Amino acid sequence: MAGMDSLKIHSTPQFKSSSLVVGWHEDASELGTKVIDYLNSKLGVEVFAEIEPLDFFPLGGVSVQDDVVQFPESKFFYSRQKDLVLFKSNTPRSEWHRFLNTVLDVAENYCHVKEIYTIGGMVSLSAHTAPRDLLAISNSVKIREALGQHYPDKGMDYETPPGQRPTLSSFLLWAACNRNIAAASLWVPVPFYLLPTEDPAACKKVIEFLDKRFGLGIDFRDLDEAVRNQNERIARVRFSYPEVDNYIKHLESNLSLSQEESEKLVKEIEEFLKKTD
Amino acid sequence: MVACWPGIGSIGLIAIDTLKSMLDAEELGEIEPWDFFYPKRVLIRNGELKELEFPASKFYFKRTERGDFLFFIGEEQPTDGGKAYAEGKKAYQMANLVIDVAQKFGCQRIYTSGAAVAPIHHTARPKVWAVPNTKDLINEIKKYDNTILMSDIEERGGQGNITGLNGLLLGVAKKRGIESICVMGEIPIYLQGLPIAYPKASRSVLEVLAAALGIKIDLEQLNAFISQSEKEIELLYDRFPPEIKEHLEKLRQVTHARPTEPGPITEEDKKKILEDIDKFFKKGPKED
Repeated sequence: MAGMDSLKIHSTPQFKSSSLVVGWHEDASELGTKVIDYLNSKLGVEVFAEIEPLDFFPLGGVSVQDDVVQFPESKFFYSRQKDLVLFKSNTPRSEWHRFLNTVLDVAENYCHVKEIYTIGGMVSLSAHTAPRDLLAISNSVKIREALGQHYPDKGMDYETPPGQRPTLSSFLLWAACNRNIAAASLWVPVPFYLLPTEDPAACKKVIEFLDKRFGLGIDFRDLDEAVRNQNERIARVRFSYPEVDNYIKHLESNLSLSQEESEKLVKEIEEFLKKTD
Repeated sequence: MVACWPGIGSIGLIAIDTLKSMLDAEELGEIEPWDFFYPKRVLIRNGELKELEFPASKFYFKRTERGDFLFFIGEEQPTDGGKAYAEGKKAYQMANLVIDVAQKFGCQRIYTSGAAVAPIHHTARPKVWAVPNTKDLINEIKKYDNTILMSDIEERGGQGNITGLNGLLLGVAKKRGIESICVMGEIPIYLQGLPIAYPKASRSVLEVLAAALGIKIDLEQLNAFISQSEKEIELLYDRFPPEIKEHLEKLRQVTHARPTEPGPITEEDKKKILEDIDKFFKKGPKED
């Protein structure tokens, strides 16, 4: 097995025919980890394993974010009630293949998973008033067909542009395919001016999918409230600052903003939303 | 064996790739990439991941009347934490894998190639700095045309560093008792940080390698590439502010062949040139 030295098993629950949902830190709006945190709070989970950071992250010190020290974490959670495994992790900085194979070792050998889903946010130039979309990339026909039951298949075509690299989720899909494990990455475009804060509508879009797929029985009232609350707050910014209103109207009309206008919109929205938190 | 990984100005890579193509060497095998590299490209069609491509590390082989040639070309250097050049465990592992193949095929000599950042002008013919991994090769190197040893370079006194795998491979080969030489084509100091190829130095490297290996080479295609590159560099040079050009013009008189004479450019000048060039590119060249 790939990196069992780095794996710390705390307990071995009786997994049945689980699925694994993966959320990475550092995607747009931290959507992946927000979805995992939300599910953790709703499903009554326990931590059963984690990957030690030593081989995968530079440990020459710690970073500080929003006044708080950060430290890489890579933890597996299990919901006995729903037979669902969740994995929340920072993206490793080296030994990616070994790291992903350690995740797959846990998924395959301990949890006997039949499907893996990764969650990610991507930057969108649309306005927040547009409905959130859900895009999926699968690693096999089997999972693609399964996905089709719960959302309209958009049949996306994509190739990494020069100077950029594939996502870690694509790397995981490829590694899972090599072990004949069905996997898909789910992406929700997040309006660019919500990246520094949060986008509950994007979060809801993913949870809705997972709820249908795994019969989680989620009560969406809190998410609906969060979406409504944010929309109201942005409406107040638009009312108070005609310039912000004008920028968002541009986006609603499918017009683009200049770099300067975009930066101003991000700043105004971030300041206002953080102030009224 | 002739081996190379990418570096400044793609000097070694262009030289080795040209030589490999001229000899029509055939692909022999590769080092599996996934434990060394992050993927470089994904291809998704109709919502399905079709292909994940990694940087390649391939071996090529050609049997000729002059002997058997093994080539190794690495598309990327394995790095930890986003550094430009390989170092540490992964680099050492890869160097050992390359030498394993060299030994398996009975290679008698290994050449690697890279760039030598030098205080020269881009109109000068780049020299080739040659560094062997054993003293026994020094006399042979002295016979190569347009080639200098570290001790021929002013103020170096035979000392220096070869960054990344083009250097590390020589060390690993030394440990295993295989003769190796790194041949580095000179690139002007003011071009070192730019994302451009410098094929003129590749030609110098290629001439040295061809002579050392006893191979006849046809430089027509490479010369066309050099002409194009020189035009682009001239255009860039013309856009430098006069105060930077004034310093750079001094480089026209530089030669390494006289280590005891004071050069026309001082260490302070070199520092100033690099600072000015850095400032110029940070600010962005003015459009005409």
